[in-house]
Amino acid sequence: MRLVAAELVETRQILPGQWLQSFHAPELASGTRAGQFVHVRTGDYSGLVLRRPFSINTADPATGIVTLHFRTVGRGTEWLTRVREGERLDMLGPLGKPFEVDPRSRHLLLIAGGLGMAGVRMLADEAIREGRQVTILFGALSADHVYPSNLLPDEVEYVVATDDGSLGHHGYVTELVQEYEAWADQAFACGPHPMLARLAQLAAGRRERMGVAKLGRKRGAGKADPMGSTSARRKAFLQVSMEQTMGCAVGACLGCTVIGVEGPLRVCREGPVFASDEIAWPNS
Amino acid sequence: MKAKKKVTIVGDIRVSAFKQTSKHKPSSTGRSGPAMPGERPRVETARAAVADLGTPSVPRPTIAEREALDRIDLSVDLAPEHGGLILANPILVASGTFGYGVEYGEVVDVQRIGAICCKGTTLRPRAGNQPPRVTETPGGMLNSIGLQNPGVDAVIEKYGPIWQGWKVPVIVNVAGESIEDYVEVARRLDGVPGVAGIELNISCPNVGKGGLQFAIDRDAARAVTAAVRRATDLPLLVKLSPNVADVRPIAKAIEEAGADAITAINTLSGLAVSPDRTRAFLGNTYGGLSGPAVKPVALRIVYEVAQVVSIPIVAIGGVTNLDDVLDFLACGAVAVQVGTAIFADPELPVRLGDELRGECLRRGLSSYGSLIGTALPKRTGAASSKGAEYRP
Repeated sequence: MRLVAAELVETRQILPGQWLQSFHAPELASGTRAGQFVHVRTGDYSGLVLRRPFSINTADPATGIVTLHFRTVGRGTEWLTRVREGERLDMLGPLGKPFEVDPRSRHLLLIAGGLGMAGVRMLADEAIREGRQVTILFGALSADHVYPSNLLPDEVEYVVATDDGSLGHHGYVTELVQEYEAWADQAFACGPHPMLARLAQLAAGRRERMGVAKLGRKRGAGKADPMGSTSARRKAFLQVSMEQTMGCAVGACLGCTVIGVEGPLRVCREGPVFASDEIAWPNS
Repeated sequence: MKAKKKVTIVGDIRVSAFKQTSKHKPSSTGRSGPAMPGERPRVETARAAVADLGTPSVPRPTIAEREALDRIDLSVDLAPEHGGLILANPILVASGTFGYGVEYGEVVDVQRIGAICCKGTTLRPRAGNQPPRVTETPGGMLNSIGLQNPGVDAVIEKYGPIWQGWKVPVIVNVAGESIEDYVEVARRLDGVPGVAGIELNISCPNVGKGGLQFAIDRDAARAVTAAVRRATDLPLLVKLSPNVADVRPIAKAIEEAGADAITAINTLSGLAVSPDRTRAFLGNTYGGLSGPAVKPVALRIVYEVAQVVSIPIVAIGGVTNLDDVLDFLACGAVAVQVGTAIFADPELPVRLGDELRGECLRRGLSSYGSLIGTALPKRTGAASSKGAEYRP
């Protein structure tokens, strides 16, 4: 974690109301793992007192370029779209816990709902670099909200679901999961809260449906890792990246909590990536 | 004066190479007005200069300037009656915005802060309120954390040894549901190495029981302060609430009950509506408003309290720059807490200390004492009553 002056290199509107910005920030690009985020300071003139948290969409250590993918939801993000190339933004990062991939996992299932793509996008890069196979299931409102496939690595299998059926599967992205859950060794998700809750429900019942308790491996054998630990997360089938309104992003203000089964969890410190069984999902 | 060398910060070379038009001007801030010839208008540390993104290179103070700066005495005693609570500078960080002092350790030199007020601590662990707990509002933010903390024993066990090794004093913010709770927490903190003082949080607007009830009633405030005073010899600060009709009788009662200093103010009770307008946004419905939006309220309360009590006042409310600090000092505060602004600018508390030092140098002062209370009415007794008639 450090304060970094990130120079804006490029701003692109990739979807209606959704933007992709590239920043030159070598300190961030080389030290970031998939799932981590940055806390961006907004302009002073506007009376905005809080920084804005964004998942790091991609990070390229070779060029020092970090990209952020966001939607304009308020004055802070609107201000961000108007920042000119060459201006430098004050970013605090990288923050939070990254996704933990089990070294034995060959097949990774990434599930993204809408802007949730920003949360899992970098994991696709990381996994492909490490020689894993990646399938991304993506859910959106309609065809014109579908994340452009040319922004994804070629090696990725990209499956789309739209709520109105205008592209790909007609329905929710969660309905696609059962087709892939036997193939996947691990799943990683980011998106709206109801989607994550449904995925957690599916993940909890997966072992029974598969009919194999340990998938022929020693997974789950021996002493259980303490909940929330890196090793426990690495063994979890489903990891989710959570979102919450945030204050300090370093764990000081306790503002960004979500309710976990063992008490409140700070999204900025214990998260934003959690094993799905750490979260107390509604009606589960 | 001697001719000064131009010092460029090494870390900025790359940056200025990127910017074609970065001819740096020595006086780049609008803050300090016309500088005297041969004097630099702005004094900053190297770290702060790197973090200041607007100005690619800020001149560092020369050796002579730095010696003059070092001679300026910013120390302040918040508890002259009880063994003293001496801070190296009058910039504190506010409870709830800086955790236990360790969270920001990677980006801030916490030892250079005047003092740290830690997160509100209760006798038993508290899980806090339902999320969402924070939201931004125009010029400020609402929070309703609900005093989430691991309980006083866990705090002492986990952070006491860390604090003990620190140069910066740590003031433990204490909250409770009853007078007995406050007394018991104070008793447990008494004598713990690393705990420099207690700030009684009798004004948290975000908890049901024990929140505001002590801060809005003069007799309750007096009772809880007196009870804690009997339980401990630690320097005792009491934090006032702005959510009252007239704060002065309460401040007076707290002073009479033996508090060493008064902190003003806690957050203002407020509300935000969810985007779909079907409910309140925050999980706890109500939240406490902080940030620049509350500064005028805080100034008014500090101004009023300064005229009725003689113990030190620690001001808090919307401090984001040196002007805010000077405003609060002018209204009678001897020290200032920085809160919400830390979230956007973690280095602000350290930088404000440096800037205050620079301001003293610019004005030719050896300490900042003469900046305190300059805006208060000259005859304290009669003039203060006007405030009561004016207030809504």
